[in-house]
Amino acid sequence: MKSIWKSSEPSFQPKDPGEIAAMLSRNSLSIVDKLKRNVWIDMIITLITSVGLLIYAMTLPSGATKWTYVAILSTLLLYVFYYIKKIALLRRFDPVANDVRTHVEGLISTLSGYLEFYRRSYTVLYPVFFFVVLMLIGIDQGASSLFHSLQQPVNIISLVLLAVCYYYLSTKVVRWFLNRLYGRHLEKLKNLLTDIHG
Amino acid sequence: MGEKDFIELIDTHQGLIHKVCIMYENDPDVRNDLFQEIVFQLWKSCKTFRGEAKITTWMYRIALNTAISGFRKQSRNVKTEDLKELHYNISDHWVDEREEELQRLQSAIRQLSEIERAMIMMALEEISYEEIAETIGITQNNVRVRMNRIREKLKKMMSQ
Repeated sequence: MKSIWKSSEPSFQPKDPGEIAAMLSRNSLSIVDKLKRNVWIDMIITLITSVGLLIYAMTLPSGATKWTYVAILSTLLLYVFYYIKKIALLRRFDPVANDVRTHVEGLISTLSGYLEFYRRSYTVLYPVFFFVVLMLIGIDQGASSLFHSLQQPVNIISLVLLAVCYYYLSTKVVRWFLNRLYGRHLEKLKNLLTDIHG
Repeated sequence: MGEKDFIELIDTHQGLIHKVCIMYENDPDVRNDLFQEIVFQLWKSCKTFRGEAKITTWMYRIALNTAISGFRKQSRNVKTEDLKELHYNISDHWVDEREEELQRLQSAIRQLSEIERAMIMMALEEISYEEIAETIGITQNNVRVRMNRIREKLKKMMSQ
């Protein structure tokens, strides 16, 4: 087998030094680097939107609309912390300098941690969204009107049912989304680790 | 290592990277992406290379890590060719018997698991069991046992 392997170089087009030099300045296609880039883009968009909203909210007279914008702005700022934590999680992964087993273990741990944080965050953020929307309805209709309607049992039951459905569906969607995006890759890494352990 | 030295290093050892790409990707476009990604990862890691291992062992480690687990294909519609079909297509074009044998060996290696592929490729490149063990992260004894199994599998596949 060795003689066959050595007998001929595989059929490849050698790259010239110019092509190699161009490869050094391109974006990485590794999964962790791609995730980092996506989080940075999300964070920059969130920050730009936040600044825009803040500037606009400052021009508004004090009242319901202004508080609506302030509530949205607070949610967006919550997101900035969420993105910072995501980047910190991804930075823990030191790429390719290790042996294959350590590399695969590190990648599994980083991706699992990242996805777990993603899921947990939405477990917290979805109820926050729900209460922000409820608060905005309160601002729109007036707090006393909202409290009055919440005193009726039918409305309480409807609200609880809505909250349960919303929470169940939203967490289900996040799980499905994450599994679709990263589930197969994570599964592949786990199989690789099993294969390494022989 | 400066950029000029690094480019020279890749230029000298690019056969190693091409072989890893050929073993892990069938599609020429994806293979090209993988080649670029390996070069990029080598460039990123070369600042921390302290010369404790042989340069080719270090290159194999990074190339394999990238090909096996670190690389995610671009979301283009990748056509995964059937290995047998690939073999026949190649055979049509490659008249030379020796080269055909090489293609048969490559096709057989592609049917192994990703870790087995990495191990046999390094063994065929005459990398010691000690270095293979270090690269994969398993014991030398484990390498020895698994290499015997891989050789048996390949012999069977090639005799079919």
